[in-house]
Amino acid sequence: MVDVSQARATEGPAISMKSRLSPYALPMFLIALIAVSGIVSPAFLSTSNISNMLLQVAPLGIVVIGQAFVIILRGLDLSVSSVMATAAVIATGFSGQNSDVLSILLIALGIGIATGLVNGWLVTKRSVSPFLATLATMIVLQGFRFAYTQGAPSGNVPPLFRLIGSATWHGVPYNMMLLVVLAIVFGVVLAKSRFGREVYITGGNPTTARLLGINADRVTIIGYVISGALAAIAGLVLSGYVGIVDNWVGRGFELDSIVAAVMGGISLSGGQGGILGGLFGAAILVVVFNAVLLFGLPVQLQIIIKGLVIVLAAAFYVRRRI
Amino acid sequence: MTALAPIRLSSRLRANQGVLVVAALLVILLIFGAFISDRFRTTSNILNIFEQSTGLALVSLGQTLAILTGGIDLSVGSMISLLSTLTSGLIAGKVSMVLPVAIGILLLGLLIGICNGLLIIWLRVHPLIVTLGMSAVLQGIVLLYSLGPAGSVPPSFNFLAYGKVLGLPIGAVFILVLFLLVALFLRYARLGRYIYAVGDDEVGARLMGLPRARVMLTVYGFSGFCCGLAAIYLTSRFSVGQPYTGLNYTLASITPVVVGGTLLSGGKGGVFGTLLGVYLISLLNNVLNFMDVSTHYQLIAQGLIVIAAVSIYVEKKKRV
Repeated sequence: MVDVSQARATEGPAISMKSRLSPYALPMFLIALIAVSGIVSPAFLSTSNISNMLLQVAPLGIVVIGQAFVIILRGLDLSVSSVMATAAVIATGFSGQNSDVLSILLIALGIGIATGLVNGWLVTKRSVSPFLATLATMIVLQGFRFAYTQGAPSGNVPPLFRLIGSATWHGVPYNMMLLVVLAIVFGVVLAKSRFGREVYITGGNPTTARLLGINADRVTIIGYVISGALAAIAGLVLSGYVGIVDNWVGRGFELDSIVAAVMGGISLSGGQGGILGGLFGAAILVVVFNAVLLFGLPVQLQIIIKGLVIVLAAAFYVRRRI
Repeated sequence: MTALAPIRLSSRLRANQGVLVVAALLVILLIFGAFISDRFRTTSNILNIFEQSTGLALVSLGQTLAILTGGIDLSVGSMISLLSTLTSGLIAGKVSMVLPVAIGILLLGLLIGICNGLLIIWLRVHPLIVTLGMSAVLQGIVLLYSLGPAGSVPPSFNFLAYGKVLGLPIGAVFILVLFLLVALFLRYARLGRYIYAVGDDEVGARLMGLPRARVMLTVYGFSGFCCGLAAIYLTSRFSVGQPYTGLNYTLASITPVVVGGTLLSGGKGGVFGTLLGVYLISLLNNVLNFMDVSTHYQLIAQGLIVIAAVSIYVEKKKRV
């Protein structure tokens, strides 16, 4: 029984052309996309629409940061949408006043971290495939959420979350500022810290990581915990954006965040890519969806485009690796 | 000779340990159910369990073959939604349309599956990504076709779901025959053996010159075909197709496969375990229904079963 990862390791070094090609490719693609959309539909570049798009980027971007860690570690995290919805349900589970914000934050983070721990434990200690492990935790969490809300959540989102999720300061949304702070913090951790290097080595080649004395299991588990915690934060931000919470807040974010990451050059075979790329991926996705609506095209096209993009982006990066 | 027999028997048992565990669980659940409710013990309830498991069994059968090659088919849910909506939408209540539409649906399922296979071969992208993308595309297409239930089927069409042969539900009998045929194919046909070989050691299979492309086309084509069958069955059962008919089937079809002992890494397992897995889950839901447990907890139970199953089987693989 040859392990696939071993087989991949023997295929020779994955010589990446990414470093030579892509630093400007994604931003340029984004700018071109915005320009074309603006020409086709002038309403696209209106202040309110741009502000609206920025508001939508933030929750997705926060999830993508966590997803980036997991995907660089050769995994993927499907449970993010379930964590988001659970955090959002928790947000309305209290009195709806600002005094409860801290307890909500702690409980939501606790659920996110616990989910991440279970995911990481299943993936490392039990060798469950990341897909199945995170799918199972997603379902279990969903079941608990439904049981907790009895199918119909009620209550209000605290004003502070409403402010962070949907208000702007001189046109710049607060949730965008939160995204920037989180992106810088986790970007530095990933790119500059010892832990970040361990993430790349573990994801790039687990055998090498072991030989270098890296505790690959621990690194992987922390990766899933980061993803779970950020998903919880994104869920709270999104609850502030939509204002009303149902059981499905964040539905589709698991797929969107993976699409954004893959589009941003974070290879599903691990060890490659960075947070900035993933965020550009998220921005491109939001712009495309927005354009589909503004052009008066059927909403269903969004789903079809999403499907095509994920396959083509994956294929594009697979080709380039070889 | 006699000294060898027990060794062979014990190794046989070890190889099928997973199937034995599932079978034991089935028996335990049956006894448990019989204690809980008098209505559980009735023949009609048992036949009911068989009848309800037909759709899941059909999808899981195709999924098993995909997983045996080390892949996965995540497009099954959307495919069922699309095909079942098209079934009732195109039949539109006309008896004369039933046969041509049914044949067309099966061919379309086969074709979509073959597309999956071709994309996997050409793009060299993991089946997970290809079928995930395909799933989104198909869901978009079905929503473009119709946002709600479409068309209708003639009343006699529900024969497929509720009809009986020799007192047994027609779907359940069909399932048994189909699973037997696929099991024989996997065991004795050359292509069937290749499916295991590709899943067990893809590099080795390539070095040996096994036709990976043909295996992939067969497996994903068959999965699509099974989705066609399931779509027709479900349309017959609900008497109309709608764009979310298949929503839950993507996950649901994976559960019986892993519970039945087929490893997600491929190369190990079989359709017999899957069939037991299907019956186990249908039985579990039936028993939980009798216990008046809400569907929320049924969801939790299903997730926990997946986690338990995958962690048990994986450990076994490591030990060997």
